Amino acid sequence: MSISYTLRESFSGFRRAKISSLLSIITVCISLLLLGSFVAITVNAGRLVDALRARLEMEAFLVEPATEGEIDSLVTAVSSLRGVENVLFISKDDAVRIFKQEFGEDITTVLDFNPLPPSLKITLTPQYRTSTGTQEVYDRLVAMRGIESVVYRKALLELIDKRAAGLNKVMLTLGLIISLSAIFLVSNTIRLAIRAKQSLIQTMELVGATRGFIRLPFLLEGSVQGLCGGLLAAALLAGLLGYGARLVSAEFAPYLRMAPAFYGGLVCAGILLGFAGSIISVVRFVRPVAAH
Amino acid sequence: MISFSHVAVVYDSHRVLHDISFKVEPGQFVFLVGQTGSGKTTLLRLISMDILPTKGIVTVGKYSSRGISPRELPFLRRTLGTVFQDFKLMGDRSVFDNVAFTLHVTGTKGTEIKKKVMHTLADVGLTHARNMRVQELSGGEQQRVAIARAFVHNPLVLLADEPTGNLDPGTSAEILQLLFDINTRGTAVIMATHNYELTRKAKQRILRLEEGGVRQVEKA
Repeated sequence: MSISYTLRESFSGFRRAKISSLLSIITVCISLLLLGSFVAITVNAGRLVDALRARLEMEAFLVEPATEGEIDSLVTAVSSLRGVENVLFISKDDAVRIFKQEFGEDITTVLDFNPLPPSLKITLTPQYRTSTGTQEVYDRLVAMRGIESVVYRKALLELIDKRAAGLNKVMLTLGLIISLSAIFLVSNTIRLAIRAKQSLIQTMELVGATRGFIRLPFLLEGSVQGLCGGLLAAALLAGLLGYGARLVSAEFAPYLRMAPAFYGGLVCAGILLGFAGSIISVVRFVRPVAAH
Repeated sequence: MISFSHVAVVYDSHRVLHDISFKVEPGQFVFLVGQTGSGKTTLLRLISMDILPTKGIVTVGKYSSRGISPRELPFLRRTLGTVFQDFKLMGDRSVFDNVAFTLHVTGTKGTEIKKKVMHTLADVGLTHARNMRVQELSGGEQQRVAIARAFVHNPLVLLADEPTGNLDPGTSAEILQLLFDINTRGTAVIMATHNYELTRKAKQRILRLEEGGVRQVEKA
């Protein structure tokens, strides 16, 4: 089989069937816009949830009085716990300063003494920022000598976990439906385009064309249509997200930005969609043997 | 070269052909006559193994309907050339491209393709129309292009399914003469037609399909 002939046939397919080629490109583009928007929403919702989790800290209050040596060894012990990312020691004086910053009152002048205990502000690694992960670290902390009590926003973390799990299920189902719809939509459009060439396929079969010879130009044509649809979808989505980022506040703008890999993935998905759509259609029309 | 041995074809419990046996030798010209619906096209499709028989065996050269693999089918078909009543040409391509198509399919080299196509177009008298689109040609000219496409690769057998069905008597006679010319070069031709008048004066072998069976018509 001549490669140059196959390539020529694939590209001349565009010229010969402009409208059906354009329809296939638009279908791929619309499918990928849906799929891309869905991925962007899912990814950014996940990032938003992660950002929320990152803000949640644990605070371990120390038994008083504690010597400098005891505090140092406690910080080292807590830092070495699995799941702990960072430990910050807050002395009694630091606690007074923070109280004043948050509430505007100097507690030592109100009570004539400093009731605030020294503490450790603990940040967890991303994997441990769940209710079960946090509970695991909590259990280890309360069992340590020198720690009086440990607090964290358990109820909020449980709520985030519950909502995130629900969101994941919804997104997974939606993603599956959108992906299947995209393949169905694209393969249907390409099938219509190939059906128009059914007579040509029959002629090719009768003059002795091999299955590969018949299929390859259609597969290449489908892949190139997918590439065009993917490029168009990536450009449109980049424009839409960019426009959206300008409309929302600066705090939320980063959640409307996607990495270049996402757009690259969209283009690759376009090629894959075009190729898969062509395979589904071509296999239907180019049968190995028209046995009676 | 072509052999039908007790071949039967049944479509959805309707018997189209039954117990058909005959042979076609290399270089023979055979008219396949019969009414519309008598099974002429089915018989031609059996030769190209576009369909397989319900019973019996069809043999074309070294290929047998019993046990031919999908991979072998294209290679069987490259030993055949097929001409259809409705031409089945690619309307959006030039005359040259339509004829060259068979050679591209069979993997012939570019320089060889040009030489063979020009030679074949000269044989069918269409050199002047090589760059024209087939839609711009008359019915007779389009059938000449179809014939050129069918024999450009020098097949062993040319199958012509009602090649004059859509043509006026004058053009039909020209097409028939063209098929005779091709046959004199050694290519066997099997031409299906319901036009008895066309075969009346011909000296070639005639097989008549009737009620699903086949019989040889003896010339007076």
